[in-house]
Amino acid sequence: MASPDTSRGNYHIDGARLAGVKLSRRSFLRGSSAGALALITAPRIAAARGLLTEPRLDDLVKRTLAAATKAGASYADVRVVRIRTESIATREDRVQHVASGESYGVGVRVIAGGAWGFAATPNVTAEAAERAAKDAVAIARANAPFMKRPVTLAPVPANVDVWQTALVKDPFKIPLEDKAELLLAVNREAMKVPGVKFTNAYYSALAEWKLLASTDGAYIEQEIVRLSPGYAVTAIDDKRGEFESCDHPIAPRQAGWEYVEAAPLVADARRIAELAVEKLKAPSVQPGKRDLILEPSNLWLTIHESIGHPTELDRALGYEANFAGTSFATPDKRGKLRLAAPFMTFFADKTTPGGLATCGYDDDGVATGRWNLVENGVFVGYQTTREQAGWIGEPASRGTSYADGYGSIPFQRMPNVSLAPGPKDRSLEDLIAATDDGILISGDGSWSIDHQRFNFQFGGQAFWEIKHGKKVRMLRDVAYQANTIEFWNACDQIGGAKSWWLGGSMSDGKGEPEQVNAMSHGCPPARFKQINILNTNRRTA
Amino acid sequence: MQTSSEAKRLVDRVLTLAGATKGAEALVRVSSAREGNTRFAVNELTSAGDVERLTVQLTVQFGQRSASAATNQQDDRSLDDLVTRVVRMARLAPENPEAMPVLGHQSYTPAKTAVDPATVKLTPDVRAKAAAAAIAAGDAAKLGMAGFVRHAGESLALGTTAGLAAYHAWTTCEMSCTARTPDGTGSGWAGLGSNRMADLDPGALAKTAADKATASAQPRRLDPGRYTVILEPAAVASLAAFFAYSFDARRADEGRSYFTKHRPGDKLFSEAISLRTDPTDAALGATPFDREGLPIAARRWVDKGVVTGLPYSRYWAKKQDKLPTGVGGGWALDGGTATRDELIKGVPRGVLITRFWYLRPVDLQTLLVTGLTRDGVFLIENGAIAHPVNNFRFNESPIQMLARCDGLTATAIPSGGETDGGFRVPALRSHEFNLASISEAI
Repeated sequence: MASPDTSRGNYHIDGARLAGVKLSRRSFLRGSSAGALALITAPRIAAARGLLTEPRLDDLVKRTLAAATKAGASYADVRVVRIRTESIATREDRVQHVASGESYGVGVRVIAGGAWGFAATPNVTAEAAERAAKDAVAIARANAPFMKRPVTLAPVPANVDVWQTALVKDPFKIPLEDKAELLLAVNREAMKVPGVKFTNAYYSALAEWKLLASTDGAYIEQEIVRLSPGYAVTAIDDKRGEFESCDHPIAPRQAGWEYVEAAPLVADARRIAELAVEKLKAPSVQPGKRDLILEPSNLWLTIHESIGHPTELDRALGYEANFAGTSFATPDKRGKLRLAAPFMTFFADKTTPGGLATCGYDDDGVATGRWNLVENGVFVGYQTTREQAGWIGEPASRGTSYADGYGSIPFQRMPNVSLAPGPKDRSLEDLIAATDDGILISGDGSWSIDHQRFNFQFGGQAFWEIKHGKKVRMLRDVAYQANTIEFWNACDQIGGAKSWWLGGSMSDGKGEPEQVNAMSHGCPPARFKQINILNTNRRTA
Repeated sequence: MQTSSEAKRLVDRVLTLAGATKGAEALVRVSSAREGNTRFAVNELTSAGDVERLTVQLTVQFGQRSASAATNQQDDRSLDDLVTRVVRMARLAPENPEAMPVLGHQSYTPAKTAVDPATVKLTPDVRAKAAAAAIAAGDAAKLGMAGFVRHAGESLALGTTAGLAAYHAWTTCEMSCTARTPDGTGSGWAGLGSNRMADLDPGALAKTAADKATASAQPRRLDPGRYTVILEPAAVASLAAFFAYSFDARRADEGRSYFTKHRPGDKLFSEAISLRTDPTDAALGATPFDREGLPIAARRWVDKGVVTGLPYSRYWAKKQDKLPTGVGGGWALDGGTATRDELIKGVPRGVLITRFWYLRPVDLQTLLVTGLTRDGVFLIENGAIAHPVNNFRFNESPIQMLARCDGLTATAIPSGGETDGGFRVPALRSHEFNLASISEAI
């Protein structure tokens, strides 16, 4: 079954969908993220070699672009992509699964006769890549008779650079036993809590190395390392035949192993286990309109679904109508629609430190940046690619093109999209103290939103009743359901910069065939007035 | 896609390398695919590609220590690296009491005509013409048209150091399209899957989507509530999947499943409801063996409304003293004899639903699922379609959908959106379906 949208947690914790190899990297660039070599511009290929382990790729790139041009392409790009993965899954006292993966291949994208064509092969030789270039041109020519307007690309400087994740400890070099032991230690701690029957701790990492070269002069090498640790604890009530789970809220990040080392995974295990047990005994929520306080560990996903997706330009113009859907945020509403309360600004940013979508350049070869999508409550901006910028009269792409592997066609994918913190130094505790009768939600649970991004319904991991400024008790069976525009306009308080936290997902789905994208969403906690709370309990029905 | 002999050669190369390590048991899986896809939207072709894929996955075990790794390269150095890496990882992996020895020789019953030669040979211009036919239907009806055409030839080969040798090849294809009215008030969809491109009629699919878009324009408001519903196959497949995929003996025995309280032998539904897995149904594109090489037989999990059993993994079967079943196979919900229009005729007041979107589990204990309607929702009054209505969010369980079902049509294999062509289902009529809130989306 296709998973149409972001997914983390019980359903897709095994991140081994893609695969990858040991890549011997040069250590001199370690930790020097973007720009170290940006000043070197000529001779282009030699200067950009930086991380390249296989200089013969220079020859492959040149021959592939030449083959595409000779076959009649007016534009061509070639991406050589190597993806490495590692995953470990544990339950209780055992390691269930240890896996690593590698995939390597070449994708060639061309424009010929005004139409796109694409072909890809896992055979990384100049001959195979030249053949892919010719196949891609043949596909473009097959499509060309059915085009009404030729594809045009916004201009871009001929970027030549090397970029890589700023990290201290390469997670692929940390011994497997250390990783397994950490996860088993989490399970041991959680299992000490009476009532806990099951624990699932997991870890996955993905390193994406790619070389992009184009007939517009791009020659860009990047390596991006993403980690996803986490765990879920399940408590069982055998007498009633009921069960509840609680996840640790740790977010996947673009980072080194030091991120996992610094995270309080083991330290929090008992608390998370106790939450699962308390949740199982908690009273079922009374449905109705209530004030709602959302922790960043819950709110990031609401931002993803109701701000991130609607501002994808291809979606807004109907290019994703057959699968992901369209959007309420159509171009005629730009600069007019009051999408959120006037103190709220949502920004897109492919430079956020640690952000899963952070990189130096997108898969069109465009340098990444930051811009506003919603400014002081008003919808103002879109996510675009080189092909799309002209559709709304913008002179340059925002740099959001991405393909999830050598065999995938680059298209518009979500950058990191975040809610800026409020000017006041307000904390989660301040929001709780200011609330007379409400519900507090932490962690992401069940999530669903319609195909134009109006009606959403979200759950969470842990729910508390707030009375007279205090957390009174846990609740269960809670979901909140709202209309996007009404919801964001019902916000009356947000936290300050110190309360801002970066959540994210490794597996946002879009496109046909479906591709996976990773991106982060930062936000402070926020309070919303009189939101519709549902009771999801059908156990007695 | 690899032929049987190409795949076997590669499997044997890896087995020979892995088997050279003393005390190592090994399982090799080699999958390959040649896939073509074409997208269209806003009445134009938007992207198209042909992609080759290969995955060599190796699992090595030393007693209870086990690890896996995969590569998509098949040169000697890459395979050597793969074996070295997995052997090292397996030695370092903690002992797993659940690790089972690799399987020896097995016999399988595959679908007879899983590979359709014409679909293997399909070229990009055929996809472009299929897309063009849909676009032409959109242009003619003054509708926006978007959609997707995909086909693939795939193979999967398994081998173990204990003598297992399995190979299966198959084709899959799908086409779906969405038509939208220029004023943005109407939207219609159609999508089917098969293993033969000749089974998919681009013009007919586009016409269904276009007719639905036109008929669904300018919807009227209908209040949320519990309604009699006619669910078309795409809607049925996406919701029934949550029921089918929850069949698992271990989770039930552990007390964390719907099946903890509803055991084999329980009658959940009327005699009209039967749920099967069937790897011999070529159109579903399922393999006749699971990831470990265990045969998957065609079998019923619900027979005439009664749960007949739950799938057991090899480890859980051993622990509970049961037979392992193999996990997988194409799913099928048996159909009936009614037509969709006959189902509509019996409804004084109800709602006709084309498909669902963004389904997510809300409560695993009751299999409560939320999601939304999309691309054609109509009020039924006095046995006929009265007019289009707004979309809804639903909160409902597939158990209740099937328990309250009183009419089924012949089956189809919907594909696209939230259903991937691996589930054969009828349209059905059900009652008291909880359409919980209004969605403004069109």
